[in-house]
Amino acid sequence: MKFKKSLAYILLGIWALVNLFPIYFMFTFSLKSNDEIFGKNIIGIPKDWLWSNYVSALKTGNMALYFANSLLVTTLAIAISLMAALMATYAITRIPSRLNKYTNAFFMLGLTIPLQASIVPVYVVLSKLHWLNKYSTLIVPYSAFALSMAILICTGFMVDIPIDLDEAARIDGCGLFGTFFKIILPLTKPAFSTVGIYSYLQCWNEFMFANVFISDSKHRTLPVGIKALSGAYTTDWGPIGAALVIATFPTLIVYVFLSRKIQDSFIAGAVKG
Amino acid sequence: MEMKRLVSTVLAGVMAFSLVACGESASTAPATDSGDAAPAAEAEAEAEAPAEAEAEAPAAESAASGEPITLKMWCIATESDSNRHAYEAAIADMQAKYPEITLEWEAFENQSYKTKIKAAVSANEMPDIFFTWSCAFLGDFVEAGKVYCLDAAYENYKSELPEVMLGNTTYDGKHYGVPLTMNIVGLFANMDLLKEAGYEEIPGTYEEFIKCCDALKAKGIIPFGCAGKETWCVTEYLESVIEKSAGADALNDIFLGRETWDNADVGAAVDTFQKLVKDGYFDPSGIGLTNDEVKNNFMAGKYAFYMNGTWNCADFANNAEFFPKVKVSEFPVINADKAKLGQLIGGPSDTLAVAASSPNAERAADYTFELGKLICHYGYLDGCGLPAWTPYGDTSSVNELTQAVAEICSNADTYVLFGDTAMDADSANTYLSYVDQVYGCQVDGEAFIKGLAKDIR
Amino acid sequence: MSDNNYIVSKEILRERRNKNIKKHLTIFVFLLPGLALFISILIAPIAVSLYRSTFDWNGFSEGTFIGIANYVELFTNGSIKFITSLKNAMIIAIFSVFIQLPISLALALLLGRKPKGEKVFLSIFFMPVLISTVVIGQLWLKIYNPDYGLLNRFLDFVHLSQYKHVWVGEIGTALGSIVVPTIWQYIGYHMLLMYAGVKGVSVDLREAAMLDGATKWQVDKYIVIPIIKPILKVSVIFAVTGSLKTYDLVRILTEGGPFQSTEVPSTLLENMLFLRNRYGMGSTITVMLIALCFAFALLISAAFKEKDK
Repeated sequence: MKFKKSLAYILLGIWALVNLFPIYFMFTFSLKSNDEIFGKNIIGIPKDWLWSNYVSALKTGNMALYFANSLLVTTLAIAISLMAALMATYAITRIPSRLNKYTNAFFMLGLTIPLQASIVPVYVVLSKLHWLNKYSTLIVPYSAFALSMAILICTGFMVDIPIDLDEAARIDGCGLFGTFFKIILPLTKPAFSTVGIYSYLQCWNEFMFANVFISDSKHRTLPVGIKALSGAYTTDWGPIGAALVIATFPTLIVYVFLSRKIQDSFIAGAVKG
Repeated sequence: MEMKRLVSTVLAGVMAFSLVACGESASTAPATDSGDAAPAAEAEAEAEAPAEAEAEAPAAESAASGEPITLKMWCIATESDSNRHAYEAAIADMQAKYPEITLEWEAFENQSYKTKIKAAVSANEMPDIFFTWSCAFLGDFVEAGKVYCLDAAYENYKSELPEVMLGNTTYDGKHYGVPLTMNIVGLFANMDLLKEAGYEEIPGTYEEFIKCCDALKAKGIIPFGCAGKETWCVTEYLESVIEKSAGADALNDIFLGRETWDNADVGAAVDTFQKLVKDGYFDPSGIGLTNDEVKNNFMAGKYAFYMNGTWNCADFANNAEFFPKVKVSEFPVINADKAKLGQLIGGPSDTLAVAASSPNAERAADYTFELGKLICHYGYLDGCGLPAWTPYGDTSSVNELTQAVAEICSNADTYVLFGDTAMDADSANTYLSYVDQVYGCQVDGEAFIKGLAKDIR
Repeated sequence: MSDNNYIVSKEILRERRNKNIKKHLTIFVFLLPGLALFISILIAPIAVSLYRSTFDWNGFSEGTFIGIANYVELFTNGSIKFITSLKNAMIIAIFSVFIQLPISLALALLLGRKPKGEKVFLSIFFMPVLISTVVIGQLWLKIYNPDYGLLNRFLDFVHLSQYKHVWVGEIGTALGSIVVPTIWQYIGYHMLLMYAGVKGVSVDLREAAMLDGATKWQVDKYIVIPIIKPILKVSVIFAVTGSLKTYDLVRILTEGGPFQSTEVPSTLLENMLFLRNRYGMGSTITVMLIALCFAFALLISAAFKEKDK
């Protein structure tokens, strides 16, 4: 019994190590020179802390700008998809109609459609509209792709709100719009963070659209920026490491402080969806 | 002085090649592509040069000065590119000369740039000025009507830019590109390593060359470094082997679509190349590396030979420790019945073009010519390649390696442009795919020629 | 009297109809933002792809109708490698379902037993999910580097140099080099989904079973797993359709090489569009990809239903 228990801990411990080590490795090599990385000190603590790598990543690599771009695009995409999803879910779950079932099924198609599916036609259309190389070039498709999951999650939350509330509001003279804004929105607040996390995971990491639709460096997001930087520094590992850290650590730090809440929100999505 | 003479002969050599390169999209392709054309070409080039140049120059000045505009330019001169300095220097000069024209320029990594520029062309979102490769790459855009015709602007620069250099960017008799530098594929050798194997010079015949490789291998030195992650690097080897086995004319005919790939000589040449791979002459870890990494390995003394474009001369010259060790030569002849020395792979390919959609296309065209001239000038001084423009100023500082390349070119007989530049995008990628498969020993020469004959549309 | 009645009922009807129209109008207004996004970015493009897949079209010109020729060429052209790409996607899917998900499940079950440090472990295991795939790709590139990478140097260190490889550059190991980080990154994702399910199993149910003499393992097997089956189904669908969509890690680790042995449908799609200017063929690959995603989603759903009986 005791043996089994310690075995479980060993397994968990090993897996924790496997997860933490790459992050540690990334951080340490971001502060080393090639001599150290290629020489004896591969995985140790850096001897000279080369902060200049960060200067290169920020200056030549423009990482700060790309980070801000990613943040902007992701936040707006989440906001738009969340609003659209809440409205659609409200219509589907709380206004009785024979079509609701079909509408819902229609939106759920989006869960299986791969992002790549729309890249050709959307690209052609956006380009004809001269709509490339703008923040909205990414924000609109991202929110569209986050929509299905958002609706799925919102449905889970919204069906839990007793329908009596709507009726009470109706008797008080609230219209459908009034009910939505005054009653439903405040009550579905817990869904916001859940939708936010799922959409964040989709948008923050997205590489294909960002790579194809954005050609000027002003609007690049992090993933594309890192790819570009690694092309420029193929043999110089330090600045690449620094860029990776810049792209990763802010999120990880936020996560460490809010991990409980983030996990709970994520879990809520799994349970409700 | 000697340099100048060398260069003018180089130009003449290129002439012969330029005529065949992309001409075929314009009516019938002239079939004269042997060395015979060279003297005539030289004469022609010299005759054309002085004509009407002086008269037009002031006109260019007046067209250029005007209200302030902003021009956008895309290129591939990233921080790690050997042309970077030439671009920076040229742009600085231009900015000083034309303060009213603001140039916003951006550089992209080679592979992703190909994606980017095609996307921009189909979207009509092109910058005013863009870097392009000549022949089919630019040809696709010209055919779609997206490129501004430079004939009018060229009149002002005729004296400095020989018309022969425009062969690869001329479609239906109209000029669409400003060439920068021209490059060939060179066989670079680390002489220190060759000495270890008992060779003082790069072997001149194929038999000796193979013996040299064996000697290197016996010493534990890897003969060739080649970046498998970028297939164009493989073609630098393969195309030279094919050319020196089947002959330049045969390869040119195939690249330009005049003959089918189903050619037994080519098949045999591919087998020859594959034998080099199978005999372990190539660094096995090169498959997973990029060209930059392989180049660094070569400079670090990991390989004896490195076949790649002569634009690398600049990087080699900048590495004081490595530069004394490196020499450049031509790949030896494999089948003397069909091929001979002086048949080279390369030609002017790096080009700037102006977008037809540019609101200031006319001024951009003049600007592009001047910018191109300066980039060419600085690039030549840096050793990024041979100049497409007539050199000016003091060129004595050009590094010896580039001078050696000029020497090779002065003896050139025929040039065959890089296959992936000569062919249209779809064919080029079909070709690259098969080259990849050859390098991976997944298909042999027979399957290579049959497959390409079938799959190239 | 009867006349009056008739009028009244007509008015009621009209009122009802008006109300009905108003209701549907409201529904429509609420659905509008979602539908507009969804149709313009997802549904319409698919329809266009279906249409364009029957064209030889380079993106700028008009294009010519060629029927199913693109579909035929997809399988016959030796340089396109569509079959290889499908095979690779399948291999990634198989590893995801049979290696990744079991590890996720095991971790979820272990954590469901409330070990000490449960929350800390949970937080750590979820970390890779938050890191951008591009970052992970770059990181693993440094691990796989043939000369200076951690992996080869570790093998040197433990005197197993004969197992050294050019990990991303050899046919034998390249696909594996993509599979490992792919699986690694998303174990935490599925684990957390499953953990949610495991936590949802009521404590009473567990305790009752334990009182009856069931071991922890039996509780997991007979009580917990059947309860979280819906979540498992979602995980399997996500893992399989996710594998079909693989793109980022291939682009960064191998670029589809060596010798195109690690191409996946998405990289081919991109090559068609931007390297070959073949938008028609790109549309064809898109259509195939969507069809496959739907086919697998339906298949997996059916498989889980079958099991339920």
